[in-house]
Amino acid sequence: MTDYQTLSTHDFVNEWAHRLPEKLLEISNLRTYFFTEAGVVKALDGMSLEVNKGQAVGLVGESGSGKSVTAQSVLRIVPRPGRIVDGSIRFEGEELLSKSDDEMRKLRGPKMAIVFQDPTTSLNPVLTVERQLTDILMLHRDLTKEAASKKALSLLEHVGIQEPEKRLKAYPHELSGGMKQRIAIARALSCEPMLLFADEPTTNLDVTIQAQVLELLKQLQKELNMTMVMITHDMGIIADMTERVTVLYAGKVMEVADTSTLFHSPKHPYTEALLKAVPSVKQTRTLEVIPGNIPNLIEPPSGCVFHPRCKYAKDICMRQEPPLEKVEEGHFVACHLWRELKLEGRG
Amino acid sequence: MAEMQTTKDPGHSILEVNSLVKYFDVVERGIFQKKKVGDVHAIDNVSFRISGGETLGLVGESGCGKTTTGKVILYLEKPTSGSILFEGMDVVETFENGHQSDRKVLRRRMQMVFQNPYNSLDPRMTVYDIVSEAFAIHRNIPKSQWTDRVYELLRMVNLEEYHAERYPHEFSGGQRQRIAIARALAVDPKFVILDEPVSSLDVSIRAQILNLLIDLQRDEHLSYLYISHDLSSVRQISQRVAVMYLGEIVELARADQIFDKPLHPYTQALISAVPVPDVDHKATRIILPGEVPSPINPPQACRFHPRCPYATDICRQIAPRFEDKLIDGHFVACHHADKFV
Amino acid sequence: MVAYPPRSYLSLYEGDAGTPPSFNHPFGVEDSGIDVFSETVDSTRNDLYVGLTATLITTLIGVAVGALAGYFKGIVSDVLLGITQVFFVIPVLLLILLFARVFSVLVFKGLGLTLIVLILAFFGWSGIAFIVRGETFKLKEMEFVQAARSLGAGSYRLLFRHIVPNILSPVIVIATLNIAGFILTEVVVSFLGFGDPNTSTWGLLLNEGFPYVRTAWWVSLFPGLAVVFCVLGFNLMGDGLSDALNPRLRE
Repeated sequence: MTDYQTLSTHDFVNEWAHRLPEKLLEISNLRTYFFTEAGVVKALDGMSLEVNKGQAVGLVGESGSGKSVTAQSVLRIVPRPGRIVDGSIRFEGEELLSKSDDEMRKLRGPKMAIVFQDPTTSLNPVLTVERQLTDILMLHRDLTKEAASKKALSLLEHVGIQEPEKRLKAYPHELSGGMKQRIAIARALSCEPMLLFADEPTTNLDVTIQAQVLELLKQLQKELNMTMVMITHDMGIIADMTERVTVLYAGKVMEVADTSTLFHSPKHPYTEALLKAVPSVKQTRTLEVIPGNIPNLIEPPSGCVFHPRCKYAKDICMRQEPPLEKVEEGHFVACHLWRELKLEGRG
Repeated sequence: MAEMQTTKDPGHSILEVNSLVKYFDVVERGIFQKKKVGDVHAIDNVSFRISGGETLGLVGESGCGKTTTGKVILYLEKPTSGSILFEGMDVVETFENGHQSDRKVLRRRMQMVFQNPYNSLDPRMTVYDIVSEAFAIHRNIPKSQWTDRVYELLRMVNLEEYHAERYPHEFSGGQRQRIAIARALAVDPKFVILDEPVSSLDVSIRAQILNLLIDLQRDEHLSYLYISHDLSSVRQISQRVAVMYLGEIVELARADQIFDKPLHPYTQALISAVPVPDVDHKATRIILPGEVPSPINPPQACRFHPRCPYATDICRQIAPRFEDKLIDGHFVACHHADKFV
Repeated sequence: MVAYPPRSYLSLYEGDAGTPPSFNHPFGVEDSGIDVFSETVDSTRNDLYVGLTATLITTLIGVAVGALAGYFKGIVSDVLLGITQVFFVIPVLLLILLFARVFSVLVFKGLGLTLIVLILAFFGWSGIAFIVRGETFKLKEMEFVQAARSLGAGSYRLLFRHIVPNILSPVIVIATLNIAGFILTEVVVSFLGFGDPNTSTWGLLLNEGFPYVRTAWWVSLFPGLAVVFCVLGFNLMGDGLSDALNPRLRE
């Protein structure tokens, strides 16, 4: 019988209470399960996350890590057969999980928004660009059609779209991937949300377009003093765009730290392995392989969910799930052995 | 664009591509007839060589023609013009007018691993069938030895013998890609085209496959054409790299030359755009304006000039020659390349 | 209860002629003395014959034409497509009625049902051909087909070992639904009086019962119910097959 402790909000509260920036988002012990025919998929199994106002935070993990489900859970748009079964999500101090659908709808847009990975499917193919934007503006901001159209135009300019008047009347399929993603960003920002989730926003884009979109996000975040959660599997994007990062694996938090701390001195074997497995344009190195595969979320491994692939795994790792422990101020890790291990970072 | 100047590299080239051109027709369908209204300039005058045991990386963004190049080399698409010489044999001639036995030889010596591991394996065939299909087509191994050979191939890609009985949908993406590699190796090829083999795989799995490919290259003395938009993995596996833009090769050099000292403005922008997993690295991104233009009506003269930060009049009027007048073995097609040396 | 043989046995039950359903005649008796129950049961084999045989032939032709039209480019494909389109728009039902009139000689010689089957088979394959052509297009570009080509596989192997097995799923579903459709066509033809009066089919029974619908309702009701259940059954089977066959492929 696994005995698992979860990160109590007390740790975080004590951590950050004396710092000035206020907590915008506080996720504690979140469990989101998918009830499928094949079994219960534990997409998120005791996940915690803290985001302060104005921060750019990264959520890094591979497929099955639960990073997208986290964003969906906060916005309460988890698709069926998924359901949030436990935990707490506090936004601006208020508990989101006890809000009704109506109350949540008022938050989506003006308070929190999300940019999805594939703009081809996240934009409505039968609406013009203008409609995509004005619909939301008229709904949340009570603008007239003319006012909304004007705002839509300025939004397009803001996200760097050339000839915005022409683009307003266009349909998504007439536009390139990069442009579509800019429009998706414009839509997400149209009501000036406080919190923006960017779920792999550049994965489907070409390299040079990716650079454009990442620069745009950086610039917008600074300009609007927006809090951004960057969800990605790309450690390069994490290094470039975020100040704090949470590493997720199979629905659980492995490590949380400031980005530079994470890269320089990771404390979790998975983090170390990820850093070593990722190639870089800057140098040719031998890649270290992480053996095995992403685990089955219906029957995850016992104890530490990473133990089957961990080269340092010991007996206790198989039997007990490691709690999230504090390494130092702002740095937390879920590993039984972090005190003994000497792990290598990058740089 | 002029053809590639003869290089000083002697190493027996296993593959020689010269002035390869591939245009696709843009067609309007009427009720009774079709009218050709234009061309998609997928590949326009591409030339390069690959030596035995070497990996040439082919990079570029969508629409640059890199995947089409791979398909044309294997004659899965007919080239519009140009020549492809494999171990001295004229590929196009052989497929169009040659003997069936010669064609089969080419099909054995040149192989391909495709991009999408979810689509590149026939869902109705077992792994055994998939890997042994090569034997059925080429009949180079007596039936009694098929099972042994299949098991041997599976072991080479770090899979188990019992996997042979299973169907593709029972495997993960990384495992499927291994099966695809085993299938390509079943015919004992000398040259394998790898088309984005790790792009759809998870980060932790990519290293497994890349390392496997590198090991296999060493053990079986293979040559690779590694096609990818993921520059980081290209650097990992390639000795030389060719950069494509809108159907043309704009730069070709050793991997370290391309990545550390790129001469073509597009290459510079491309490499600077890749996020580096290193917190101490200060990203000085060169942001290119606009979108990647369509290969249907590519810009005149230097195709990159509309987006190039250094474009001048000559760039708009005269197409730059592809040559290595500056550094030995480093080919560029740019009027202003000398500025960057 | 006694078993009363159907019309092919020429024994009629004059004593019970025109009686409603009873213990001895669960579906009643026609005015002519024919026992409706045994007729209905006997019709089952004839209707199934029409449905299954016509489906078998149309599926074979449809798959062959569709696969060839989808796989080859150029003239072959265009010609096959054109033929398919022409056959698609031909009103099969009217043709059957027409042929039945013209070849009424054959009909009376007892070949009526086979004639219907032949016409259905000859003209009814275009739907499947279209679907198969579409699927073949899709599959042809799939990477596993490209991979087989790069291994050196010839057209024959590509078509029959790779493409056709992967289009079987939608084809089976459509074929199942076609069985129901063809049976319905037979019912209409015989109901209108163009069928074979010597072979018992549900349509024929409906035809015979039509003038007496209000009085001898049992002659129309029971064969009618038989048609309904038969068609419903095949439709449900088609639905079920469609669910069963798809998810596995999608994985």
